[in-house]
Amino acid sequence: MLALVLSSVPHLSDDFRAYQLGTYLLYGVAAQGVALAWGRAGFLPLGQALFFGLGAYSAGMVLIASQANATLLALLPLAVLLPAALAYAIARLVFARQYVSGPNFSLITLALAMLAAQLANQWSGLTGGFNGLANIPEIGGLDRYSTVYYLIVALVVASTALLGWLYRTPLGALWLAVAQNENRLQFFGFATDRLKALAFALAGALAASAGALYATQQGLVTPQAIGFELSTELVIWTAVGGRFGPYGALLGAVGIGLLSAELRDVWIHWQVAMALIFILVVLRFPAGMAGALQTYGRRLWPRSWMAGAESLSSQSAAAPNYLPAPPRNRAADTSTLEPIRLEFNRVNVRIQGVSILSGLQLHLRGAGIHCIIGPNGAGKTSSFNALTGRLPLSDGDIHFSGRRVSGLRADTIARMGIARKFQIPSVFSALSVRDNLCIALWGNRANALQLLQASTWRWRSTLWEFLIASFPFLETESDRHAGELSQGQRQMLELAMTLLMEPRLLLLDEPCAGLSVAETGQQTDVIKRAVTLIGCTALVIEHDMAAVARLSDQVHVLHQGRLLASGSLADIQGNPDVQAVYSGGQK
Amino acid sequence: MDASAVTLALNLIYHIAVLALVGLGLGIVFGLLGVMNMAHGEFIALGAYAMLAVQNHGLAPGYGVALAVLGTAALGYPVERWLVRPLRSRPLDTLLATWGLSLLLRKSIEAVFGRQYQNVSNNLSGTSTLLGAEYPDYRLLLIVVIFVGFALLALWYRRSPAGARLQASVANRPLAQAIGIDVDRQACVAFVCGVASAGLAGALLAPLVRVEPLMGMDYLLDSFFVLVVGGLGSLSGLAAGSGIIGGTQVVVSTISDQTGGYVAVLLLSIGFLWLRPNGLLARR
Amino acid sequence: MSPLPHSTTAGLVVDNLGGGYGDTIVLRNVSLSLAPGQVLGVLGRNGVGKSTLMRLLTGFLPLSQGTVHWQGEPIGNRRPNHNRALGIAYAPQEGLVFDALTVRENLSLQRPDWRSLEPLLTSFGRVRERMAIKAGVLSGGEKKLVSFVRSLGEGAALTLLDEPTEGVQHENIALMAQHIRQRSDAGASFLIVEQNLSFLMSVMQRVLVLDHGEPVFQSDRFTRQALEHYLRV
Repeated sequence: MLALVLSSVPHLSDDFRAYQLGTYLLYGVAAQGVALAWGRAGFLPLGQALFFGLGAYSAGMVLIASQANATLLALLPLAVLLPAALAYAIARLVFARQYVSGPNFSLITLALAMLAAQLANQWSGLTGGFNGLANIPEIGGLDRYSTVYYLIVALVVASTALLGWLYRTPLGALWLAVAQNENRLQFFGFATDRLKALAFALAGALAASAGALYATQQGLVTPQAIGFELSTELVIWTAVGGRFGPYGALLGAVGIGLLSAELRDVWIHWQVAMALIFILVVLRFPAGMAGALQTYGRRLWPRSWMAGAESLSSQSAAAPNYLPAPPRNRAADTSTLEPIRLEFNRVNVRIQGVSILSGLQLHLRGAGIHCIIGPNGAGKTSSFNALTGRLPLSDGDIHFSGRRVSGLRADTIARMGIARKFQIPSVFSALSVRDNLCIALWGNRANALQLLQASTWRWRSTLWEFLIASFPFLETESDRHAGELSQGQRQMLELAMTLLMEPRLLLLDEPCAGLSVAETGQQTDVIKRAVTLIGCTALVIEHDMAAVARLSDQVHVLHQGRLLASGSLADIQGNPDVQAVYSGGQK
Repeated sequence: MDASAVTLALNLIYHIAVLALVGLGLGIVFGLLGVMNMAHGEFIALGAYAMLAVQNHGLAPGYGVALAVLGTAALGYPVERWLVRPLRSRPLDTLLATWGLSLLLRKSIEAVFGRQYQNVSNNLSGTSTLLGAEYPDYRLLLIVVIFVGFALLALWYRRSPAGARLQASVANRPLAQAIGIDVDRQACVAFVCGVASAGLAGALLAPLVRVEPLMGMDYLLDSFFVLVVGGLGSLSGLAAGSGIIGGTQVVVSTISDQTGGYVAVLLLSIGFLWLRPNGLLARR
Repeated sequence: MSPLPHSTTAGLVVDNLGGGYGDTIVLRNVSLSLAPGQVLGVLGRNGVGKSTLMRLLTGFLPLSQGTVHWQGEPIGNRRPNHNRALGIAYAPQEGLVFDALTVRENLSLQRPDWRSLEPLLTSFGRVRERMAIKAGVLSGGEKKLVSFVRSLGEGAALTLLDEPTEGVQHENIALMAQHIRQRSDAGASFLIVEQNLSFLMSVMQRVLVLDHGEPVFQSDRFTRQALEHYLRV
């Protein structure tokens, strides 16, 4: 439909208008890339013109060179592929070591764009310097003032369709999850730095393709196309137009861009007003104009195409033909026939002089539920953090079924079959309950291709059915945003998600925290039965002694960063050292 | 002593000192308070433009410095109160909001002063001879002012009761509150001082640089990289960062060119993000 | 379990207090009163809500139910930095000292009355010895001592202590008890959250036992044996 509307413009108005519109449509495609990175995957590129300019300059150079040697035209795709590869590399580099978003990425992309503009000015032999790369020929002999417009429309339609499709695939949901809770997503076995790099590479490709067409449409590429000002405008257009979908960015670039071009010279304060609008949008109207349109559209025509599905997975929920999920990826496991072995060997963790773990020595073997108890500050959660790559060891090591685990990344450890549930329930709040469950199911199971297929939404497993039966709200509230659930329900949801991974080692950190007595009973029941169903080993940190009594095969007491005692609950209760620690008689 | 070696050494010292001066504002606002102020460069620009405005009205430069400091401070208060404080727990939104502020300030400067490059006259344009090398007086004055200023600041921060209270609020906010320190008011005062020091930096540097609306961007990036490398939260981190970044810039620019220096700084910062994500001397 | 009689103007009066984090209610139905000169011990295993109670009383968490009155004035939902002006001192369980400041600076941040610090420093020679040392390098027990000296040094009418003896050596615990008794004899009130039963037995006149976020026992008559029962694993 978009194609129809856009193609009709030159007929309705005139070629010049279409030419103008074409330029801003190209900016719109670049802005769609910004929307993908920012609105979807949650990181803000402040220098996106870098890729637009790279695409423009490379395409320009190839086109000029092809006038002498037509076979050089074959190099044209490089004008898109090389910037995309660069984008991927930058994102991988910057995101590799973090799981908390910070300003680093934004500022580095800004610095790169400014550097590129400087180089474009300096290397005048290559780029034509300040005056730009001129006399770029028309591509394939197409008239830049009329026919190229249709090429641009084709690009816009292609990019919008591509993004619209991607946003509905499992990958699209994963990007949303990265934006909402990157830390948690890693514990499902997803390499979030690669996910973000993929998004950025695509954004770079979009910007570069737009830049390439820009070169031939304008016939001239100046450093303006690669520098700071255009990068900033792209962000503004995306913000005001709407960053949560592909249409918003187009709307912003075309609407605001064209408007700016008209008003900029007429009203000197237009740019100041634009800045104020930007601040207002950022603070109050994050969904931008597209969001506003959707809200009003939904109110006026509730059943129109703008209403959209409530949650991504609900489209597949209607169709009852579920597919059995493929088995958990066992490539990274050691033999599944061997019983689990977990060893903390004299683990020491010291942070700024404070000893968190002092020579923790704990060996576990075989299936079953082990409860870890101990007073505050004993090191219980810290032992989990050390095990899952969130706390670096000062000394000692941790082995899981013969493999050294200490020092590995969280997502690698998750892929080895170790699943973790957090003390404060951590889920993807702006995704639906069903979406959350799907993501947990895909962890360590779905390969790259499957993440692009709609059928992956229909995966279910026997364990899934069991969990729905145990926690009926997972089915009845499946379209509700996880953030709207009550605390207790969120605890149960996170437990279900962790179990869906069918791990070999299950780490539960206070799974009954905040639950009522009845809910605690329900939770412990599910844990017991799931552990038997999956056949895994569970390590459970708990304070609630009733829960410990119900769950544990073995109890381990931690105190001051070290193991104090191990044994059955009866043994522990009879142990005088343990009693002393708890009633503080003789510390 | 070889005159060119002395000149190089003075250039190095000057460069590092200026980086520290420019980075101080961001060091306070981002390093200490945790607020990524993307408009940091624009506050510096405002300081420079204050000097320009005063000059255009034929007044003495002293008024310019006063206007720079007071003006940015006055602007800093509503920004802290209504833009930064409500977004305290949302760092990405703070970045966006201050980016918007940076845009607003830049466009306002353009609207009032125009986009062209302008100049603030240098009242101290002579040179002096130091150890056999001739060096501009204004730069020498700046070096002295910066070193003395930082020494006083360090003394205040480490020795005075107010400095101790500020360190306390930043290091352990709940405990500071428990003993009765009004941490919100402290954060506000610290923010205002941070942007005012940016304004001061702009005013002091104005006679030596091109005054134009986009001048703030390079300062923002430089300050950010200084903090990434040196570490957030301490004066020594700021000093270390300035030393390393400044040294790299001067050395590499002498060997290749200014752009080479830029690239080297970028690579160095990315390297630090990888190996020492908290910077060299982090205190937060 | 009998609720304690309310006194209307002096001291701390808590009525049906409840609160938690976000939408989780961790603590509910807590009522207590504390007259000048009284020491109340709050007991319970971990996770039962003891620290939450402290945070609610000191303004770090908003109340979701109930009221707190101090010396006749309602004080629920105020900013924590007002406590000092109200005459309430607080020693938290974690984040005890300012690591980057010396012990002397830690103690003198809010211009205390050094005369009231003197007897404390005489008792706790370790703290006096370490005056010029950065608090961050002290051991856990030493930090607790500094925190204790600081909070008692404020000479407040109501002092809230969260696990003051954790990691502290035996001899010093006895001294802490001694100072608390002296102050309470002089009219100061104390509310102490602890797991160390012996220590509490030597200072408190009233006890409140929490379990699962609710009060399960509250009285001014209690035996050690009965209380141990509540702490049992």
